[in-house]
Amino acid sequence: MNFFKRAWLNLTAKKGRSILLILVTSAIMLFVLAGLLIRNAADTATSNAKKSVGATITLSANREAAFKKMRSSTSTSKKSKPKLTTSPVKLSDAKKIAKLNNISSYSATVSTSANAKGFDAISTSSSSNGGGMGMKGGMSSSSSSGDIAISGVTSTASTSAFEEKSSKITKGRGITTADEGTNNVVIESELAKEDSLSVGDTIKLKATTGSKKTYTMKIVGIYKASSSTSTEQGPGATDPSNSVYTSYTFANTVKGSKYKNTADSVTFNVSDPAKVSAVKTAGKKLINTSKYSLSTNDSSYQTVKASMDNVKSFADKIVWLVAIAGTIILALIVILMIRERRYEIGVLLSLGEARWKIVAQFFVEMVMVLIVSIVIAGAGGKFVGNKLGQQLVSQQTTTATTSSTSTQTQGGQPGGGGGAPSGGSKPSGNMNGGTPGSSSSTTTSQKQTELDVSVTVLDLVELGGFGLAIMFLSIMLASGGILRLQPKKVLIE
Amino acid sequence: MLKTNDLGYWYDRQENSLFEHVNLEFKSGTSYAIVGQSGSGKTTFLSLLAGLDKPRAGQIELNGEPINKIGLTNYRKSHVAIVFQSYNLFNYMSPLNNLLTAMAVTESSHRGDKDYAAEMLRKLGITDEQMKKNVQKLSGGQQQRVAIARTMCCDAKLVVADEPTGNLDEENTKYVIEQFQKIAHEQNKCVIIVTHESDVAKACDHSYRLSKHEFALES
Ligand SMILES: Nc1ncnc2c1ncn2[C@@H]1O[C@H](COP(=O)(O)OP(=O)(O)OP(=O)(O)O)[C@@H](O)[C@H]1O
Ligand SMILES: [Mg+2]
Repeated sequence: MNFFKRAWLNLTAKKGRSILLILVTSAIMLFVLAGLLIRNAADTATSNAKKSVGATITLSANREAAFKKMRSSTSTSKKSKPKLTTSPVKLSDAKKIAKLNNISSYSATVSTSANAKGFDAISTSSSSNGGGMGMKGGMSSSSSSGDIAISGVTSTASTSAFEEKSSKITKGRGITTADEGTNNVVIESELAKEDSLSVGDTIKLKATTGSKKTYTMKIVGIYKASSSTSTEQGPGATDPSNSVYTSYTFANTVKGSKYKNTADSVTFNVSDPAKVSAVKTAGKKLINTSKYSLSTNDSSYQTVKASMDNVKSFADKIVWLVAIAGTIILALIVILMIRERRYEIGVLLSLGEARWKIVAQFFVEMVMVLIVSIVIAGAGGKFVGNKLGQQLVSQQTTTATTSSTSTQTQGGQPGGGGGAPSGGSKPSGNMNGGTPGSSSSTTTSQKQTELDVSVTVLDLVELGGFGLAIMFLSIMLASGGILRLQPKKVLIE
Repeated sequence: MLKTNDLGYWYDRQENSLFEHVNLEFKSGTSYAIVGQSGSGKTTFLSLLAGLDKPRAGQIELNGEPINKIGLTNYRKSHVAIVFQSYNLFNYMSPLNNLLTAMAVTESSHRGDKDYAAEMLRKLGITDEQMKKNVQKLSGGQQQRVAIARTMCCDAKLVVADEPTGNLDEENTKYVIEQFQKIAHEQNKCVIIVTHESDVAKACDHSYRLSKHEFALES
């Protein structure tokens, strides 16, 4: 393989030219590397986003079907008052769905209300219904609402308010699955302050419906709701500080015996958000779709994905643009170089060297240049990648925040059961007709906006691949000159 | 060893042919000079013998085999060594590397033998110091001697040279011609030299003159 030696001799003998070639190639490689880094970072960020944002599927009563039924019954018998009957979700159904692939966990939500007995609920002046004892809510809901909103949950930690940290346990602990069947309660800090309650104390709640029994509750924890939670209250809600969390079993007990082992809605966490629709399809087969509906919520995921896809496609474009521009520039340089070296090629041809070996010599020379250039580009790439990455992120974050805010505003529809903070539902509460209350305004998409821009061996290998392709293409473009060169013309004229 | 059969060549049109129906034979162990007026077609004829161009008519046979059958690249690689007026060395290499490269490309039997290459260079008066410098730092006469040493390192039995002494002074010319004679007689090669210098032509065993589109033996 004599052309290797020739390539080496040529590069070392013509140092000035070699250095210039290395500089030009380094610049091109640096741009390609910057593009690759951003693209890879966007890739990682997207998969991180999948993990951290997650997506949910909510099983709830099929209100649409219920409305239809109500309407058809009104048209047939005009005398009867229209009545909307929805069936609570059976936990046995929920357990079946929970066994599907890609479902990591689930939590049930039951909303109801009760009246405070022996302590004062917080009354807000702006509230349309001053939450006194026995006063009924102003809503047209058939069930009367009390001044304490009860959120029955599987665990407080799995509710969106706590997951997004708009609510925090400040004293004691939250509700867990261990609280099933108990009368343990977690109350808001304002309510605790107002009534001088602390962890370990007991309070009494009187049911407004069903048995109208009075229950003695044990306070196991106190949580603090951030102010933003209170901003989007429906008109039917009492002050957000009157929201308490209990196990869903207790909420069912308050609602009445027929609600045993049911929930208003059950939210399933899907481990891989990309599989949401597949999981939904599988889940639908397990339930009676005329009574229940499955709704998906992967809007946060979609928002993040969309913004990350933007970065990615931008980075892709950079990579290709630079690769094409680099190929053209290098091809021109190689063509010029080959013209300059016609004489040398002529000598080789007169010695009977095969043309492909002459092309190979040029290729080897360029690969040697490429190797040095990749080392230089690798050193400089981190710096450039960092700067570009920051720039892109600051742009993309703005987009992500804007779009996620617009989703948020759809949340927080007033519901029938009093103003409990939304249970397991994710930010955009637009799917859960039955789940009342507020929606938190935190944007989950802001978590993964840090693009990790660091040069790995893999990046350099990928860069090398790109470089080789660029070199190969430009040599191919330029080699036409070598293949057509007539030795007689070069040597004799 | 080398025969031309009805060889003919023209650039644009056959009416303006430089020569036609050329039937010459060149033997190994012999040196030949080709002389003629400027523009008569000597270089063109030599480039056909060297396999750098294809004839328009007729063919060239090497030991009875047409060279286009051997393949021109293969023919140049294995059977012919060329010396030009302008030396045609690799300008980015030392004389030693020039020889080693040529030996590698032509797959010479001495391929890779640095000592052999150095010996050939010494034979032609290139000092050990000179043979490691870049060839461009050598004088014209020295460079031509390197080019001649190159032909001695290759196995090719045919050596063609186009005005090898064109850029050299009298002393160097004499020296170079002596070397070509040695190559022909000691290495038993066939040496064909195109020249316009009568001293060079006289030194060769035979001399052909190309005039009026024909080759005529002078001596
Ligand atoms: N590429 C070409 N295209 C057309 N005509 C050419 C070409 N090369 C040479 N000729 C012509 O062919 C003729 C022979 O050229 P050639 O170089 O063989 O002459 P020569 O005998 O070597 O002359 P000199 O002694 O000056 O070197 C010249 O008249 C020249 O003008
Ligand atoms: Mg000539």
